[in-house]
Amino acid sequence: MRQAAAALFGAGFTVAACYAAGSLLIDQLRAMLRREERIPLAFILGAACLHLAIFAILAVHIAYWPVLAVVLAGTIAAALMTGAWRGAHTESGKPVPPLSKSLRMVFGWCAGVFAVVYLVNAWAPEASPDGAGYHLGLVARELRVHGFEPITNDMYAMLSQGVEMLFVPAFAIGRHSAAALVHFAFTVALALAMLAYGRRIGKPWAGAAGALLTFASPVVGADGSAAYIDVATAAIVFGVFYWTEIWDDHQHELRLLIPVGLLAGYAYAAKYTAFPIAIYALGFVAWRSKRLRPFSKSLRPVLLVAGCALIMAGPWIARNWIWYQNPVAPFANSIFRNPFVHVMFERDYSESLRSYEMPSLRPLALEATIHGAYIQGIIGPAFLLLPVALAALRFQAGRRLLLAGALVASTYFANIGARFLIPSLPFFSLAIGLAFAQSATILMALMLLHAAASWPPVLNRYVNPNCWRLVRFPYKAALRIVPQDEFLRTNAHGYAAALMVDAKVPGSEPVFSMDGILDSYTRHPILVYYHSASNETLADTINMGWNEVSQPAVASVFQFPERKARRLRVVQTAQAVYPHQWNVYELRFFYHGTELTRKLDWRLQAWPNPWEVQLAFDNSLATRWRSGEIASPGMYLDVDFGREESVDEVRLVASSDFELTRLQLESIDPSGGSEKIADNPATVNQPVPQGIRRMATYELYARGIRYLMVSDKSNGAEDFAEDPEVWGLKLIGHTEGERLYQTIW
Amino acid sequence: MKRRLGLVCAPVLIASACRNLPGPFAPPVQRQPLEDFRPYRMSAIVDMSDEDARTHFVQDLTSNATPTWRWTGKRPTVRVRMRSAENRSVENIKFTIDFSIAGVMLRNTGPLTVSFLVNDVVLDRVRYERDGVQHFEKAVPPGLVTAGQDTTVGAEIDKTWVPPEGGPQLGIILMRIGLTQ
Repeated sequence: MRQAAAALFGAGFTVAACYAAGSLLIDQLRAMLRREERIPLAFILGAACLHLAIFAILAVHIAYWPVLAVVLAGTIAAALMTGAWRGAHTESGKPVPPLSKSLRMVFGWCAGVFAVVYLVNAWAPEASPDGAGYHLGLVARELRVHGFEPITNDMYAMLSQGVEMLFVPAFAIGRHSAAALVHFAFTVALALAMLAYGRRIGKPWAGAAGALLTFASPVVGADGSAAYIDVATAAIVFGVFYWTEIWDDHQHELRLLIPVGLLAGYAYAAKYTAFPIAIYALGFVAWRSKRLRPFSKSLRPVLLVAGCALIMAGPWIARNWIWYQNPVAPFANSIFRNPFVHVMFERDYSESLRSYEMPSLRPLALEATIHGAYIQGIIGPAFLLLPVALAALRFQAGRRLLLAGALVASTYFANIGARFLIPSLPFFSLAIGLAFAQSATILMALMLLHAAASWPPVLNRYVNPNCWRLVRFPYKAALRIVPQDEFLRTNAHGYAAALMVDAKVPGSEPVFSMDGILDSYTRHPILVYYHSASNETLADTINMGWNEVSQPAVASVFQFPERKARRLRVVQTAQAVYPHQWNVYELRFFYHGTELTRKLDWRLQAWPNPWEVQLAFDNSLATRWRSGEIASPGMYLDVDFGREESVDEVRLVASSDFELTRLQLESIDPSGGSEKIADNPATVNQPVPQGIRRMATYELYARGIRYLMVSDKSNGAEDFAEDPEVWGLKLIGHTEGERLYQTIW
Repeated sequence: MKRRLGLVCAPVLIASACRNLPGPFAPPVQRQPLEDFRPYRMSAIVDMSDEDARTHFVQDLTSNATPTWRWTGKRPTVRVRMRSAENRSVENIKFTIDFSIAGVMLRNTGPLTVSFLVNDVVLDRVRYERDGVQHFEKAVPPGLVTAGQDTTVGAEIDKTWVPPEGGPQLGIILMRIGLTQ
């Protein structure tokens, strides 16, 4: 019960501080808002401000709970003392036609019932894969070291964490459920903001219908009641839109653009894919200011929005540029080349996110609204009415909503997961509401049907069993009548594995894993095989142990008349097709059959992926340099011997898919000019060392990693399980389909 | 106009100029060949703690179990398969089993004789007079196991026991059973 109370308190305290921060800023801006819109807008705006404060706390490594508590309490106290909490400048607003009693009842009951379901799920122990995985895993890690640290082996740590910053104080006080409850607060705030927007434009029924369409959407319920960030992003994005409308309504008062800019930047900080709302805000402000003269006066509003946006997004961009050599890490790695994420990985990942293994995208509309078999959730069958939303174009508000919605949705096809539709849902929902603006009866029927279709027991009848959705009403777990541990063992895949790691692995040693587990429930860094370039390289080494296709089974041999050379380069000249990379296990030089001993004054270079060139020169047939992108002409490995050496043979050891490349050997003179020495090397078979498995595991050990976790479902899992000893491993734990091995050294 | 164009282009040029490429590297520490290795040994063992253990059950494995062991009936049998691969042989296969004999059962039934079977061929019979954890291992005659094909492995207990509170007939408490090389 204490855990339940702590969760509620941690979330309540954080949400109150957000509201207080927003109220203080709104008060300072003397923004005249209606009471019903002030509450959600103050919360969302305050979240942006508080996120920055917590970023600063983490940046200077003072993230201790008393510091966080003082910041939160201080913000609340300031709002209470200045009267900002009550809204000293709250406007009564022009009269708005009231909601009809029946519509009020329908909305109130439907939204109320869904809110209770969401609240209970958010309050229950956090079991969501991404929430209890990396969202809170990173938060827990930051709190353990009281600040940020560069985490170069986890691409999720490279993403901006705008919403997670609010999870930090909540988690410090009330652990996982507190963070989920903060996200639930965003879910409620979004619905309230949409409701208020309907009243602002004089169409409260459209606002009510739109709010319920979004609020009751199945994927919004599942996401908004877990420690995810998508619904929060939607609330922030809608906040940007709302403040542009307020600015437009208030004769373009410049100060009202400060929230627009701050929230536009915060949207980026929350989730990269929300950046189009900043384009909308800048475009809208530029368009509405275009008649101002002189020209510099019309530019001021745009610059103000851009400047405020930079205040929020800038720290994340700067952090990534400094730590990860890429302002938009983990993306755009072919532009901002870095050692942390392979270009090829980005391509593989993007390909998978664009399809989610759907055989064809043709049924995507039905998949996203009814089935949810592949894209992890549905938005609900009511959204099949989306084409009808075009009827909202007859209203000014409808045109703006559809434009903003279309812009926000423009990034959807980069990741077709259902939750990536969430940020655009508020716009499309309101547009559907506006389309039926003349008929309260239709709106009421639409609300009832949508609520019924989204109700979990009804949902179970038509969605695919794999569809991500709320399936429980875990009130006993929420109140901790059912102990948290018991609930999680039954309902959270990856929880038992996290506990096993804590029980079997000493200190805070890292564990290399061939599967993701719920990171936030273990104190150990879990190095998931695809989360970074270094992890991928290790996984490649380990997988080579059991996968014969990628073993060092062939050698390309250049033989040529004896010559003296100071610098030699092997150049790849063929254009391969996706996903074939150029790989070299070892590059060796010979003279009269004797290998030239590698000396410390040799200088090695490679293009691309120069950071891993040493893998081709480490005398290990378990490690290989890979180009990290599709093999293409001009890629090379280059060795400067530091002095002239006699050479008559060059030998490259590679895996058996080597024939996809074409090689030539060049001598490089001091001025950088090249001379071709040989091409078309002979291909000979190369015996694979018998101890290749143990050699692979040794590389894990050599990098300071002594623990390996392999899921029973992973490729090659049975090879480890059958004979761990030959791998140089011993099994030290087995639970939930995860085997934990320790290296023998 | 030129100035504006310059302002617009500058950030793009600066960003694209930011190639953070490292200088040349020296050769790393050279790995020495590992000597303490042996050939890979195949095995096909069903551990009661395996998540997929149930998928191997053929008969007489009761639901009276914990995550690490399971009561058997008279003739517990599981199905396993030695993986086939070009560079592996299925020679020198051994039957292996880890189980426990319950003291309460032994007091009621007297000593037990357990037969161990591969593809219904009896490998051996062992008489157990004491309770506690037992391990049995024996070479499987050549030809009895074919790589890539299902093999049944099991045990047959000469006496079974029904606890006073009732339930199915019980034999031994099985932890793991299968084939190894």
